[in-house]
Amino acid sequence: MRVFYATDLHGSEVCWRKFINAAKFYNADVLICGGDMTGKAMIPIVEDGDSYELTLAGVSQRVSRDEVAEVESQVQRKGYYPVRMTSAQVAELEKDPQKVQTLFTEQMCKTVERWMQLAAEKLKDSKVRVFVAPGNDDEMEIDEVIANAPRVELAEGKTIDIGGYEMISSGWANPTPWHTYREAPEEELTRRMEPMLRDIKDMSRAIFNFHPPPYGTSLDEAPALDENLKPLHGGRVLRHVGSTAVRGAIDKYQPMLSLHGHIHEGKGIARLGKTLAINPGSAYEEGMLLASIIELDQKKGIKNYQLVNG
Amino acid sequence: MATTTEAPRQTLFLRNATGLVKAWSTFDAFLYAFWSVNLVTLGLYGMSFVYAIPDGQLLGAVLLTGVLVTFLVITYAQLVSVMPRAGGDYAWQSRILGGGIGFVLAITGWWFTLWLWTPIYANILVLQFFAPLAYTLGWTGVATFFTSPNGIFVSCLIVLAFVSGVITLGMEGYAKIQRFCFWLGLGGLIVMVGLLLFSSHQAFVDAFNREAGQLFGASGNAYQATLDVAKKGGTSGVTFGTFGFTSTVLLLPFLAFYLLWPVWGATLYGEVRGAKEYRKVFNAMFWGLWVTVALVAVVILLILKTIGWDFYYAANAAYWNSVAGGAAPIVATWPYPVMFAGWLVGNHLFQALLIAVMGLWFFGWAGTLFLSSTRVIFAAAFDRVLPEWAANISAKRRVPYGSLILMIVPSIVVSALFAYQARFQVIFLDATAVIAVTFLGTVIAAAILPWRRADIYKNSPIARWRVAGIPVITVTGVISAIFLAFMIVEWSLNTVYGTAFTTNVLPLQYFAVTYLAAIAIYVVARVVRKRQGIDLARIHQEIPVE
Repeated sequence: MRVFYATDLHGSEVCWRKFINAAKFYNADVLICGGDMTGKAMIPIVEDGDSYELTLAGVSQRVSRDEVAEVESQVQRKGYYPVRMTSAQVAELEKDPQKVQTLFTEQMCKTVERWMQLAAEKLKDSKVRVFVAPGNDDEMEIDEVIANAPRVELAEGKTIDIGGYEMISSGWANPTPWHTYREAPEEELTRRMEPMLRDIKDMSRAIFNFHPPPYGTSLDEAPALDENLKPLHGGRVLRHVGSTAVRGAIDKYQPMLSLHGHIHEGKGIARLGKTLAINPGSAYEEGMLLASIIELDQKKGIKNYQLVNG
Repeated sequence: MATTTEAPRQTLFLRNATGLVKAWSTFDAFLYAFWSVNLVTLGLYGMSFVYAIPDGQLLGAVLLTGVLVTFLVITYAQLVSVMPRAGGDYAWQSRILGGGIGFVLAITGWWFTLWLWTPIYANILVLQFFAPLAYTLGWTGVATFFTSPNGIFVSCLIVLAFVSGVITLGMEGYAKIQRFCFWLGLGGLIVMVGLLLFSSHQAFVDAFNREAGQLFGASGNAYQATLDVAKKGGTSGVTFGTFGFTSTVLLLPFLAFYLLWPVWGATLYGEVRGAKEYRKVFNAMFWGLWVTVALVAVVILLILKTIGWDFYYAANAAYWNSVAGGAAPIVATWPYPVMFAGWLVGNHLFQALLIAVMGLWFFGWAGTLFLSSTRVIFAAAFDRVLPEWAANISAKRRVPYGSLILMIVPSIVVSALFAYQARFQVIFLDATAVIAVTFLGTVIAAAILPWRRADIYKNSPIARWRVAGIPVITVTGVISAIFLAFMIVEWSLNTVYGTAFTTNVLPLQYFAVTYLAAIAIYVVARVVRKRQGIDLARIHQEIPVE
């Protein structure tokens, strides 16, 4: 059985399309998206007579009505949400953070819904199973959208059998400086994991799909920040920011495989006793899908693995 | 299509999301680039060889090198902007030129060749720290020990221990040490500049004659005697105003020894969130380069004014000729301009203090010798080209012992060769050339990026930048490629650099072996992984979007 694992797509349309197409491209049997599907930014495309204005990558552009769809597509490629609006609406949003939040939620749900439809269309004749466990950056509202999707299974909090291997998933993370949507203290993360851990019959055939990487590995090193969220020493100084709860669970239960994301720079693998822990990293802004292919064998367990830049 | 207007009129809306950090300090990144083109350690050492081309105009060559390296900086800053993920040369070349080429060029440059830099660093440590400090303090025995094969080897081991210590303890502590070294080292440089600025040429001649007698047992007019020794070796009457265009251009490969490295940290930028901010990356590298160029210009002019241009060339010629078996120089140590400046104050304690403080230019710089190498080894291991253990990190102390072993054990071997086998020393002269070959691969990759990876390029902020319809990255990539290719040809064929394959085939054999070894590792990895069911070719294959 071939598992394809990618994570932290952050709204990138290109990466989601690649994720779905990876099934055919790599002959994968199972696709797993490790969370943080939704975008971080919204770009207003401001109507001004017959043209539109927007700022992308620090540069302002004015485009005609015919060109606006193409520009929206560029914005989506980067993982941002393009929203057509008037300058009055922009001014209104700038004054009211609650309205911004509501619009974000609306855009996210709309995009995830479209992605779910895309998966259904692309995989309609396929037997591939697709799992998503939303990450700490994903708002709760998208769970329902995923749960209702015909070809994608919501994995959060569940113990799922995939070809004789049991997978447990959680997108919740230890606290970050950004106070995101699925964060909890380490003790609570442990409590969240416990029921799932109890369900597992054979740890030597278990897969942990936890969004934050285990603490104290090469998978959880991120640039050290000061109190103003500014990287220290030009970003050259790294600190461990992973979860001690996840590390504790791996150290204690020694699953066969542990899949992680969250730290985009933490691409790599770590051997923690009998466990192979993987963080494929993320380069969603480039439209590149960093991922991992894991070959599972009924006898051997993990037959081989590979990190790819698809 | 779209038209670009001057100032952004609309903003974007952000929400709470991981990784949305503030911009990193350009000064911090500048510091890394500044250390990489180290004016004192690499700069003064590298420029001590230019006596070999006496009719080249050194200051002109420094400025010309600065201009040409700026194109390299622009090219690298654009690559960081397009593909900021960790790995630098290896990641870029692999994704644009292909995994095999990327592995061979990056591994030879950032892994195999970095072994050679250990004894080079060690030699600089001896010439700029141990020997002058010991001579100044009257410890002649210590000074002569460090210039002996055993002393050089011990210095190599000290460098390796220091570098390993920095990697083991982590960058956080070392970054603080670097800042301390930067400011105190800069203070030392200001003192040196002040001494040379406010002293007359005659004062220097008198000071030189005095200290050459007291510290090295020279008698009479040691200044003139040094000129005479150099004259016997064929170096005399060099004037600052001499300008031969071809000769000046031929100085560039010498200056590349230190001015080629503002992009050294590019392998690390992948870890920096916000690296897409082209200007920040560019500014860090650009100012690291040009502040150094400006300081070099000041030092050159002060040497001209106070030490004497002819004497500077003569002292270097006399020293290096003696190393090559010629007559012994009057002052039996490398003509360190810092030591000379200190001699303008007739106090040995002050002189020793100045040398010690200027030694911080070494200790603030040398710690990162293997930092980029370990990143490239990690990247290759994650790509399954190298064994998994190469990226292993110890659980308790977080030491990347796999990559450290791959760096340190061979470095000890090449250090021993450098220290005890004089005929192998010619190999070390090529250490710059091989990294230049790696850079050449990267700038070629950059030049063809808009066509080879059009998807990534079109989605990047640099996609709009064109000169006469040609992408800027292609223009700067081609200029950089011509510059690098020129130097590689000169290093390979021109006997003046001591690296020409026509006079000594040993470097050619050595580097052929390293490139073949890299190819062999890649081919073996392909075969072995294929047997394991892993196709290395698919690492960089792009998944169709539609």
